[in-house]
Amino acid sequence: MKIKILLIFALTLFLSSSLSAQDILSKQRKAAIDSLALEKVRDLSKYISIIGSKETPFSEANRVIERTLELFVEDAQMGVSSLYREDIKYYPVRKYLERLMALNYDKINIKWYDIQYISDLELQPDGRYVGVITIYQRFEGTTDDGMVYKDTTKKDITVYVEKKQTQISGRLIDFWDVLLGDIRVAETQR
Amino acid sequence: MKHILLFFFPLLFVLSLQGQIVKDFIDDESDLYAATKQVNQFFRRFNGEEDTRGVRYYPEDKMFRNAGLRKTYLENLFDNENPFITPALKESFIGYVTNPRQPVYIDFHGGSWFAEVTTTFSFHGAERYLTLFLQLEKDTIGSKWVITNVFFEPFAKVFADQDSLRTTGQKFLHPMSHELDFMNLVRAFEQKESLEHYVAWKYHPDYLTLFIYEYKRGNLVFKTVSRVKFHFFQADGWYFEIGEFNRRGYNTGWLISNLMKISPEEKDILMKYIYHE
Repeated sequence: MKIKILLIFALTLFLSSSLSAQDILSKQRKAAIDSLALEKVRDLSKYISIIGSKETPFSEANRVIERTLELFVEDAQMGVSSLYREDIKYYPVRKYLERLMALNYDKINIKWYDIQYISDLELQPDGRYVGVITIYQRFEGTTDDGMVYKDTTKKDITVYVEKKQTQISGRLIDFWDVLLGDIRVAETQR
Repeated sequence: MKHILLFFFPLLFVLSLQGQIVKDFIDDESDLYAATKQVNQFFRRFNGEEDTRGVRYYPEDKMFRNAGLRKTYLENLFDNENPFITPALKESFIGYVTNPRQPVYIDFHGGSWFAEVTTTFSFHGAERYLTLFLQLEKDTIGSKWVITNVFFEPFAKVFADQDSLRTTGQKFLHPMSHELDFMNLVRAFEQKESLEHYVAWKYHPDYLTLFIYEYKRGNLVFKTVSRVKFHFFQADGWYFEIGEFNRRGYNTGWLISNLMKISPEEKDILMKYIYHE
């Protein structure tokens, strides 16, 4: 885990070299930021699978919820719709994760499709870049009497790329950090 | 088995899948690759700015905006279940935007496109649909979506159409009213439904201002977003609308749901229609 953090930190430092918020991201920088963002999304996917699993002890699931929240900006929300209710229902991320943990199934199986789509990054008025990563999740819940509920959801995840500073050996060094924002969750027809 | 299946998919999707490094393959994902998953992807496919795996091309890349690639993508960017988008109309449009002498690309920051968002608000306690129109606006740094217009049925009902009012007889403040200190204004305010007789010809109510007012008074409370679509006027002489199609198969995601060849006069009429003016 420590090695992973160090690697991510090294990558963000590499990205930071004299990049101002007004700069248009080069192909290489965009690719490096994309991989950082994907890393966060993969962490999110992994944490959702752990939180949703019935084999995860309650205390461990709560610990993972806290870790999941560290991936997000404050006030991030999940906007959920289903095939039968196209209106978006809003949940704070914590509440969404707690609901996932408390789902009343005997067995839950969450899998992720090996596909992701990464948008361009657009500069927003506060100087941060914003993008959206789309992933797909398959959920299968089985009740103790054998009833199975299945769905596939499309998750459009907001990604904020923010310039930050850190001090190393007395020198201020810029780096770019990636945080997740609102997530649109839509049930798909497949 | 996978390769046999791939053979039968349309060329685009065959190319897509061949390029994937598929780990933990839990299902056939070809439909997800085929789907135009984001509006961003619609832009890139329309312009030929990404490869079949969804990886972006940059101007320095050889295939950036490649005409052949664009045609393949464009063929798959229409709602195939819409009978009003005829093959001839579709071909004419694709021919226009891929004309080698003057190709047309859509530009995220190019203006002449906007969003129509159907929302639900509680209005004096009852849930009602309210349409918001949004456009991208440049700020000091970067850009943002801003609300430019509103349509709300209860607002529209309040305002009388001046043309139809005229058919029921004219009412006005005569041209010498000023000499009487406009004392005859009393007549203008006798009947609520005929006030528009006394306002400037072709006066347009500003629903956005009304919307802000009612919201700030606490009479309008936001509930949710129901539907989103986008209107494009970036290709001269053409209008198209895109919507999101959540269904089975390969013709899914953000697709052209309406396509029209329009003259400048028709463009004005169409804009008024979209804005419910």
